[in-house]
Amino acid sequence: MTTAVAGPNRAARDSDRAGATDPVRRRRHSWAPYLFISPFYLLYALFMLVPVAVSLWLSLTEWVGLGTPHWVGLRNYRLLATDISFHRALGNTAVFVLVAVCVVVPLALLIAQALNTRGLRVRDLWRTAYFVPVVVSPILVALIFGLVFDRQFGLANSVLRALFGTGGVDWLGDPSLAKVSIALVMLWRWTGYLTVFFLAGLQNVPRELYESAALDGAGRLRTFTTVTLPALKPVTAFVIVTSFIGAAQIFEEPYLLTGGGPAESTLSVTMFIYRAAFQRQQFGYAAAAAVVLFVLVFGLSQLVNRLLGIGRAS
Amino acid sequence: MYTPARPNRRALLRAALATGSAAALSACGAAGTAALTSGNVTLALWTHDPGYEAFFQKGIPEADRLTDFRYHLKVTRAGAADVVTKLLAQAVAGRGTPDLVGFEIGSFPRMLRGDIAERLLYDLTDDIAAVPGLKEDLLPARTAPFSQGGRVYALDSDTPMVVYFYRDDLFDRYRLPKDTVTWEEFAELGARVHRDHGASMCVVSTIGSDVGQVVQSFQMLLYQRGGAFFDADQNLVLDSPEAEEVLRFLCDGLRTGFVIDVSDYYGAAMQTALKQGKVIGLPMAIWYKNYGLVPNVPEQKGRWRVKALPRFAAGGAVTAAAGGTGFGVIKDKANTRAAKDFLFNTWLTHEGQVRRFTETGYLPTRRSVYDDPRLSAARDDFCGGQRLFPLYRELLPQVPPFHQSPDQSILYDVLAGNLLRAYHGDLSPRQALKQTAADFRDQAGR
Repeated sequence: MTTAVAGPNRAARDSDRAGATDPVRRRRHSWAPYLFISPFYLLYALFMLVPVAVSLWLSLTEWVGLGTPHWVGLRNYRLLATDISFHRALGNTAVFVLVAVCVVVPLALLIAQALNTRGLRVRDLWRTAYFVPVVVSPILVALIFGLVFDRQFGLANSVLRALFGTGGVDWLGDPSLAKVSIALVMLWRWTGYLTVFFLAGLQNVPRELYESAALDGAGRLRTFTTVTLPALKPVTAFVIVTSFIGAAQIFEEPYLLTGGGPAESTLSVTMFIYRAAFQRQQFGYAAAAAVVLFVLVFGLSQLVNRLLGIGRAS
Repeated sequence: MYTPARPNRRALLRAALATGSAAALSACGAAGTAALTSGNVTLALWTHDPGYEAFFQKGIPEADRLTDFRYHLKVTRAGAADVVTKLLAQAVAGRGTPDLVGFEIGSFPRMLRGDIAERLLYDLTDDIAAVPGLKEDLLPARTAPFSQGGRVYALDSDTPMVVYFYRDDLFDRYRLPKDTVTWEEFAELGARVHRDHGASMCVVSTIGSDVGQVVQSFQMLLYQRGGAFFDADQNLVLDSPEAEEVLRFLCDGLRTGFVIDVSDYYGAAMQTALKQGKVIGLPMAIWYKNYGLVPNVPEQKGRWRVKALPRFAAGGAVTAAAGGTGFGVIKDKANTRAAKDFLFNTWLTHEGQVRRFTETGYLPTRRSVYDDPRLSAARDDFCGGQRLFPLYRELLPQVPPFHQSPDQSILYDVLAGNLLRAYHGDLSPRQALKQTAADFRDQAGR
């Protein structure tokens, strides 16, 4: 009986011992976990690291898209440094980033706060209404806003004409107003999406905190600044960083609505990259601009992460 | 006696892996290029326009009769710019390229960058020369946009002359003469019509998302006046007195209302302008009837007419060219010869060019075809039964060549912005052109 029970255990122990002493088996055992996780790393290397490395290499070459790239060293970066067009694109992108972070995010928070109000009727309808723009196809968005902002026959000018008797505003043709128009579309499109994150955060704020604040005699504004905002800090930090990264890579809105015009007043950096690569066949130059964008976005998002204390214990 | 050892399971797996890898690698390699010289052939055709697909499909029996091949077509449709992007991607991959490609004229300059055209496209020059009389018969104005270094890489679909479309009924109602000789006289009439009836007789596009349209409004009159963007050597020649005159003419027209700015020649804004009678005429290429007027205002069938453009008092021609699509053949493929034969025996034959006009409305690119009585007899219902071809034949000798440059996209980007600034009055025409030339020089060297 004892033998019967001890037999398999002993065999297993012997086997383990043999495994521990046999270098081949030990090596096989030590590789097993890596083999299991290797598909992810292989795909990550293939579809992330390799393209990034190739972009980096391409940025040091001149390539028309066919044939052999010619090594030009840092020439593309030197040209970018003096390219007025690229500087304009950087400036425009900075404006879009500011709109996203300083206008869209606060507005999303305010709307979330409004939607979180107790006793709000048809709450789901409001939520859906605010969220719908983000699921509408960008092509449709461009088509609709193209009609809204048309100078001669657009809805915006018709309303202005009806209300104020004047409506010759060139929303998409005037360099300054074109930026405003893009900002309005960004506002329309992304506010509802960000509202969902804030709403989720608001619903997790303990109700006792609001009750305590009320007992301490705090008003609405005071409660918002001392209870709601601190409680929402992690969500806010996430929303700001993702909005920053998204706006820094803005493409669809200006591409479809203004094509980067007029006079490059709405040209974003990603549009600059697309234009260089797929309209002008300057792939090396486009890759250099992409590397610059990557470094800027990565560096600045790291800075924002640190400023907002993301990932650090409170 | 030697007996080979039985392969174990591991050896079999290794062998299978090696065989599989070899098969995969050979599949990844370039396709066989043993040229087909006769028999059944399936040509991969890429185009952005369903009209061309229908034309080539119907041309198969004629091509079968005139060549040693029996053709089948596998057609892929994509946006005009996407055709070039996808073609280059497939060329880099070394497989999956089409046999026959339609390049919309605005996308072709991408093929002129570096040696892309030379590497990828079959040079049609010698084959054109080999057909007796063809080289002399083909309009140089329509081979120029698809040529580089004197070599022809694609054959144009059209001789897209710029003419004047107008509302015959409204011209009568507003007592406008239809035989006005010069643009200057026309502009005076236009100012009066706008003051009295709120209508305009000329259009410029201001759609920011399509710089091609913005540029085209200016380009048509510039080429008519005798100016150009690039010369035959691809040098920028935009900054000229002719360009300044034309831009000033358009800017003045916008102030008086003779010219109206519409965001899009093909979209809702233009449709509204046409339906409301705010646009009663415009200079445009002949294809605009089928792509702009008929789809937007089908109810105005019979009220439109076509006439030659008024002249500029200071000189120039009575027409220009705008648009076009060149069909090219991909070189060094098994189907290259078959594709070239197909193109020559559908696109370039007399019957093919007649059929192209009757089916798609695109004008022939061979001079001799303009004498065909069937074309002269054709009447256009949308234009009130007007016989258009005699007018086109009359304009033909004055169609100016249009030379393209690999940097054309740069020019279009900078020119469109400065045109809009000039239209708004932010820049004078002179300043706009100077600024365009300066911006172009700054960007084209990169």
